[in-house]
Amino acid sequence: MEPILTKYVKQPGGASLDFYMKVGGYEGLRKSLGMTPDQVVDVVKQSGLRGRGGAGFPTGMKWQFVDKKSPKPKYICCNADESEPGTFKDHVLMERNPHLLFEGCLIACHAIGAKVAYIYIRGEFYHVQQVLERELAKARAAGLVGKNIMGTGFDCDIFVHRGAGAYEAGEETALIESLEGKKAQPRLKPPFPAVAGLYDCPTAVNNVETLCNVPFIITEGAEAFAKLGPEKNGGPKLYCISGHVKNPGVYETSMHTTLRELIYDPKFGGGIRGGHQLKCVIPGGSSVPVLLPEQLDIPASFDGVASAGSMLGSAGLIVMDETTCMVWAAQNLLYFYKHESCGKCTPCREGGDWLHKLLMKIERGDGEMRDLDLLLSVANNIAGKTLCAFGDAAATPVLTTIKTFRAEYEAHIREGRCTLPASWRASHPVLAAH
Amino acid sequence: METVTLTIDGKPVTVEKGKSVLEAVIQSGGHVPYYCYHPGLGVDGSCRVCIVKIEKMPKLQTSCSTPCGEGMVVTTNSPEVEAARASVFEFLLVNHPLDCPVCDKGGECPLQDFSYSYGPERSRMAFERRTFDGEGVKADIDFGPTLMLNRNRCILCTRCVRFMKEVDGDAQIGITNRGVHSEISTFEEKGVVSLLSGNLMDVCPVGALTTRDYRFKSRPWDNPNAVDTICTLCEKGCNTTAWIKAKPEWAKGTQLIRTTPRLNEDINSYWMCDIGRFDYHWIEGDRRINQAHMNGNVTSWEDALVSVKDAVDAVGGATHAQFLVSGHASLEELFIIKQFAGNTGGVTFSWRHRVKPQPADTKFKIPAVDAPNLHGAKDLGFNTATSGVANISALQSAVDAGMVKLLYVLDPGPDGTLGDVEWVIAARKAGKIKTLIVQAVLHSALTAAADILLPGCAFVEKDATYTNMTGHVQGAARVITAPGEAVEDWQILSKLSVVFGVNVTYSSSAAVRVAIAQALGANPAYAGLATMTFSRPMSAKSWLQASNPSERWKWDFMFQDLPPIKFGDDFGPTPRANVIPMKEVK
Ligand SMILES: Cc1cc2nc3c(=O)[nH]c(=O)nc-3n(C[C@H](O)[C@H](O)[C@H](O)COP(=O)(O)O)c2cc1C
Ligand code: SF4
Ligand code: SF4
Ligand code: FES
Repeated sequence: MEPILTKYVKQPGGASLDFYMKVGGYEGLRKSLGMTPDQVVDVVKQSGLRGRGGAGFPTGMKWQFVDKKSPKPKYICCNADESEPGTFKDHVLMERNPHLLFEGCLIACHAIGAKVAYIYIRGEFYHVQQVLERELAKARAAGLVGKNIMGTGFDCDIFVHRGAGAYEAGEETALIESLEGKKAQPRLKPPFPAVAGLYDCPTAVNNVETLCNVPFIITEGAEAFAKLGPEKNGGPKLYCISGHVKNPGVYETSMHTTLRELIYDPKFGGGIRGGHQLKCVIPGGSSVPVLLPEQLDIPASFDGVASAGSMLGSAGLIVMDETTCMVWAAQNLLYFYKHESCGKCTPCREGGDWLHKLLMKIERGDGEMRDLDLLLSVANNIAGKTLCAFGDAAATPVLTTIKTFRAEYEAHIREGRCTLPASWRASHPVLAAH
Repeated sequence: METVTLTIDGKPVTVEKGKSVLEAVIQSGGHVPYYCYHPGLGVDGSCRVCIVKIEKMPKLQTSCSTPCGEGMVVTTNSPEVEAARASVFEFLLVNHPLDCPVCDKGGECPLQDFSYSYGPERSRMAFERRTFDGEGVKADIDFGPTLMLNRNRCILCTRCVRFMKEVDGDAQIGITNRGVHSEISTFEEKGVVSLLSGNLMDVCPVGALTTRDYRFKSRPWDNPNAVDTICTLCEKGCNTTAWIKAKPEWAKGTQLIRTTPRLNEDINSYWMCDIGRFDYHWIEGDRRINQAHMNGNVTSWEDALVSVKDAVDAVGGATHAQFLVSGHASLEELFIIKQFAGNTGGVTFSWRHRVKPQPADTKFKIPAVDAPNLHGAKDLGFNTATSGVANISALQSAVDAGMVKLLYVLDPGPDGTLGDVEWVIAARKAGKIKTLIVQAVLHSALTAAADILLPGCAFVEKDATYTNMTGHVQGAARVITAPGEAVEDWQILSKLSVVFGVNVTYSSSAAVRVAIAQALGANPAYAGLATMTFSRPMSAKSWLQASNPSERWKWDFMFQDLPPIKFGDDFGPTPRANVIPMKEVK
């Protein structure tokens, strides 16, 4: 499939407004402003566009839920917090194709009756924020953002807000809290943001990639978009391939593409690095179950990956070869989760840290066999009992690695050390001693 | 009232629409534990111990945050729910220091109580616990002028955070850091400075927040008795519980040890202010007047009463006597004064007016008038204002003009609540007042200037009634006995009534109230006065039920007729049906 969202990302100057206008930029916005908001929502619904932030929720439906009759202002919040391990697609879009995102934001605002869109960008993306601010100023000067856009009387502004560096700020209600100047901790749902979101006003939170798909849907039509992928999984999709592949990077393709192709096809990952074999892959960022080499002949679509018992999530494929110690991998991920837990609810706050301590114990070589059952029990006690989905995400690496690689854990415990050629140890001073 | 009906553990329950499942469970007498939920605060849904199974919902749901729906089917006690709940309890204790033996909350701690009832038998956590600032009691840090904070014990329920934000109106408490390192803190570690700070000890479900006033002073089992009463330190009239500590065997007697608020939706909700909570030390302090005095010397009651009569005669009769009465005088006292007031030179009311520094949008406003009964005085027919600063200028000019030969001051305390009295002292010294009679509770410059000093009772030493700023007629109960020869103020006044030209004879304060109810029969607020009952010390058996006021309502509603497990019948064997079921969770 010809790239659509990332077609010009390698083009020098491709991020500029001039260039974007040259290749038909803001035509989607122009066309949408000639439509009623309901028509825009309908087209997006027909296209079957599903949220690219992780859950794959239909975007048109999300916009439809926004309470349009409310007398309060409505808001679009673009979720640019991209902090899921192994995920780096929104980064590319924002840095190399910022106007596509602005256009998507503006169309979304028109669709739900909002006058303001906030782009909540990850704290560490300082350089990306610079690009966005620069290009936003240009768009504003060109009358594409602000008052009376394109002379149609449509007023809409976009603001970029940089977070303080918390993974949890990517959860949509935590993002809203953070945007309001509070700690990035999630809210109880219901009420959902569509009813009471930012400043208690109806709000739609959409991922960067999701919004970037909108202009194409408006210009080319719902059908053209849906046709690009399998049923209910239409449109172009960005995949972040990282780990032990020859060509790590961001690739845009249709969701017909299989996981195996993404890893092995020279157009994409290009296969496993020199002389090694694939051990497993986490297909959707770090928060989803691992898949084994024999499970890869499935379309890398929301439904395809789900059918194999995992999730497409943020479409970050973390590829691991046979040198990777799964105990270490789980420990590494749990370090992330215990560090990023917002601490609001008990099971995640206390349990995440406990899981990490248990994994460190096994890592150090002090593990006991009963620790495995304890790990499973603690992880299961977190899963499904937390306030937000973070808890399930934190439990998953433990549950999935023990389920799939229990023997490896047992060997680890029996031997009191890692049984794998552990090249990563050298870079890990605490463990290098063992 | 719109209602919804749902099924809880097989029983149909009908509740007001909008109530949460947890509230429905509590209302129907069911058992579901909770920490972050507090009936006086907004819902947070963070502690996760209130999880229940709701049919048609895939995951277990937190009952505190789920509104009741028509036809909902709720299970609170299936093995699935019990195991899940137990797992949350395990998490809550993973980093908790379990220093119950030295913790002030021990014995009245919801974390203890619920962990016993719902938690797993033992912890599987074998790692070192997270600690802040050293171990155990040393982890206590200053948390403002009234509080101490022990972050090791904190379970991060955020009740304190929400209290400051929602009720106090000044969100001084927040959480710094995140995840397992989250800790309760204030800006630049300045601590909480608020006139409502004491409530934080009540809302805290563990021993993380303690008051400097009460910490280390007593344990729940040392306070065998508690008395439901009201606070009379200002015109609000908060409902409270006064706690009495048993002194050690050799010392005999009891001691007022703390005051905590008691739920009254109309007046104080679940809260009270720090003035009412902490300003009680004067009651059993060194400055109490224990005996009658004449010219600075101790005398007997008989001699003192006779000398009052002599003094009135000496100035030429009751018409030359004026009364200066504190807004703290009870209805009973005022009613007696009212009966002879016409024979005297007049009655003037005085009180202290202090604007309390509070955030503008606080939900709990502490009034400026420090007088519990001005509305009562008005209702009894006295000519007095009921708000603002006391106007005593007429009395002052009369004194200045030498027209007040005898001044009778009634001041049932506490210190300073009579307002300015320097001018009285000066007038007595200058001889403008010939005789100064003071009926009071605390030695002060005023009592030192008095010719005759009569020892009265503080509000916790007598059954007396007061009409608060919103017209609620409430009783303050006798909690402790009066010191020395101090006598209830209404009795002193009725003994002296004959001196002022009427002969009032009531057998008890209750009889006075019956008479008041008759006199004010037209006013519906006073309808219940004749039959007003006063709480008496509740027995040791129910101390926990009267425990921490923020949990108190729980004992009132949730565990009705079910004494908590520690209260087996006088520590003898307890019938199983009588206790919170303690279940072994696999
Ligand atoms: C812990 C956690 C972290 C998340 N982080 C992100 C993120 O970084 N970026 C994102 O787009 N969505 C993230 N999400 C998903 C959002 O909550 C939300 O579903 C998404 O922004 C919706 O956008 P979409 O409908 O366009 O997918 C996260 C969710 C959770 C539970
Ligand atoms: S699961 Fe709980 S502690 Fe973890 S991130 Fe979500 S709200 Fe915060
Ligand atoms: S200090 Fe007490 S009230 Fe505050 S969060 Fe901790 S446990 Fe809750
Ligand atoms: S009481 Fe319901 S989650 Fe805390």
